[in-house]
Amino acid sequence: MESIESRTTLPATFERGWSRARRKPKLRKLGSLVGVYVIMLIVAAIVIFPIYWMFTISLKLPREIYRLPSLVPQAPTLDNYRELIEKKHFLVNIRNSLIVASSVTVVSLLVSSFAAYSIVRFRYRFRGLIGRVILLTYLTPSSLLFIPLSIIVARLHLGNSLFGLIVLYLTFSIPLSTWLLSGYFRSVPPDLEEQAMVDGTSQLGALFRILLPLSLPGLAAVGIFTFTGAWNELLFALIFITSEDKRTVPIGLQYLITGDVLLWGPIMAGAVLAALPVMVLYFLAQRFMVQGVTAGSVKG
Amino acid sequence: MSDRSSRLTQSRLSRRQMLGGIAGGVAAGGLLPGILQAKSAPALIQSGGKLTFWGGLIFSDEANKMLTDTVNAWGKANGVQTDVVMINQNETNQKVSAAVESGTMPDALDMGLDLLLLLSASKQLTPVDDLYDKIGAAQGGWHESVDASLAPAKFGGSRNGIPFGAGGNVLFGRKDILDEAGITAMPKTWQELSDDAAKAQKPGVFGMGFALSNVGDGNLQVSVLQSYGGRIADDAGKKCMIKSAQTKTYMEWVKAAWDKKLFPPGATTWDGAGDNTAYLSGQAIFIANTGSVTIKAQEDDPDLAKSTIYSALPAGPVMQVSPIGPNVRAIPKSTKDVARAKALIEHLTQPDFLKEYYKVAIYGPVLKDQDDFEAFNTPVLGGLRDLVLHDTPPGAPDVYNTAYADFSANFVVPKMIQRMVVDGLSIDDAIDEAQKQGDAIYAKYA
Repeated sequence: MESIESRTTLPATFERGWSRARRKPKLRKLGSLVGVYVIMLIVAAIVIFPIYWMFTISLKLPREIYRLPSLVPQAPTLDNYRELIEKKHFLVNIRNSLIVASSVTVVSLLVSSFAAYSIVRFRYRFRGLIGRVILLTYLTPSSLLFIPLSIIVARLHLGNSLFGLIVLYLTFSIPLSTWLLSGYFRSVPPDLEEQAMVDGTSQLGALFRILLPLSLPGLAAVGIFTFTGAWNELLFALIFITSEDKRTVPIGLQYLITGDVLLWGPIMAGAVLAALPVMVLYFLAQRFMVQGVTAGSVKG
Repeated sequence: MSDRSSRLTQSRLSRRQMLGGIAGGVAAGGLLPGILQAKSAPALIQSGGKLTFWGGLIFSDEANKMLTDTVNAWGKANGVQTDVVMINQNETNQKVSAAVESGTMPDALDMGLDLLLLLSASKQLTPVDDLYDKIGAAQGGWHESVDASLAPAKFGGSRNGIPFGAGGNVLFGRKDILDEAGITAMPKTWQELSDDAAKAQKPGVFGMGFALSNVGDGNLQVSVLQSYGGRIADDAGKKCMIKSAQTKTYMEWVKAAWDKKLFPPGATTWDGAGDNTAYLSGQAIFIANTGSVTIKAQEDDPDLAKSTIYSALPAGPVMQVSPIGPNVRAIPKSTKDVARAKALIEHLTQPDFLKEYYKVAIYGPVLKDQDDFEAFNTPVLGGLRDLVLHDTPPGAPDVYNTAYADFSANFVVPKMIQRMVVDGLSIDDAIDEAQKQGDAIYAKYA
């Protein structure tokens, strides 16, 4: 009987232990999940708060900004946006920046694709050296270059023009883009292009039909990087652009600081408007950024 | 020899020194004058052609517009195509650095005294003694402090700029808070100021809203140091002399105020707008400012503007130091039609224009006939007029020269304070360090 009880008790204990043991990993899993979410929430809050603060300041009047700091605007207003657009002509700055950044991105991607393709796929003397030296041109601090560049810009009559700014930015973006794309092109197996060429495609066709489509994530990343760089550039724009109607976004924002006075409301409204195109771009391109297009492209 | 190489051989300062000085961030100083009906320029000029003018952008849209409109109207009346570019005073140095090297300087431009000094030393400017004398004679003469600021001896033997407005600091005080603490008058000495600040200070409100950081406002501390009897250099302006018993006394005063938490904790890292922001947010009782805070407060916070009182900067145990900083218009050497540029500058000194312009700008007068302008009946602008009438030329009691400008641009005094209050260096060690930095700077120009 005892043994029977023992036998019946044992399974019950075992059952409890087993179910506890089964519950433990679940609890542990839930606990770690909660922990991960809490950490992610904290990180998200740290990242998002400045953006929120920027937005909320843009909706406040000066007195509220200075005297009544609060998380939520007490009397929300669009006056800062109105002032920025109507009095400071900020939309002109945005238009100029769009022209400059888009042109730089397109030209830079085109030229650097060819350059990177050449470095990665062709064999010629000093190829490796060129590949390395090309990055060095990008690494020179711009603050050291603005005096010599100002001489070149003046001699080429490129001063105070958006075209001049585009040319100037390309001198920085093309080397970097070439270097980045070289790395990406190297990760794409040449077999695919070779197979295409065996099937009758030209070298150029292999570049456009095989390599570039497979490199979309890399192109997207480089494009976004180039666009953002040109969109945010301040020093050269400040030096080489003088006319009000040719100012880009960073200069427009910079001119909201006059002497020792900062117009916080319009500055923050400008920052919100300036951030929108870049945010949209990131949103649209994020699919390419995270996608591994080449994964599994070569089997066997 | 090309223009470019002749420019360089003529330079008393090397190009590297000049660019270094400019890029060092010497305060360019704001400037400008305004609109009005266009009159023909007093001087005879040839019509046709183009004139580029870089005006200094200041915090007054009205003043900026007035200046632009006046220049354009002058151009129209004289058959000259004018291109007015308002340059933010924060960026003047970079713009000028690039323009000098690339040969794209405008025909005339506004600048502060520091930049004038550097460009004069490198022979980049056209002397305008004749115009300076002519304008002075026509309008009651230049104020002595302004005249002394531009003494030819400091600028290579000539007058290289025409002053159009004097800047300087006025002491701002929160009357409402001082009243609550039973303080009825603005302090006359720096010691009184720190005592009043300690008495009136309350949680969230700091007594002394003065920058101790590496910005132009931080160099107010040079004046305070001088008012304690400290000196930056010897009487000849050749050798750094910051290490002294007087400097030590001054540093003890700063340390005591810091320890009592009279300075806002961020004052050692403020940007140029730190004092403005502290005052406009109601977090400072006393600040020293050129007047931009008043304009901002009048626009955005009339209650704050009403509860603000003004006075001259306090004195130290030895003297009162409250330097003015004239802003000038100059003509670069590269300007082809100097007569036309002079005509424009002369036009911009016309009383009809300046009477209106001064009302919306933040400058004190530079010519004696301007003292009675209606604009100077307001507390702040009146205070700036008093500065011009009674106070010290730039740098005084030290010699204002390129070494002094470089010393200021390197913020040696604010850094000396930071080393003491932030890094915990002893007063003596902080002074020793500043002396070494000063020695290195003055040695460059010896």
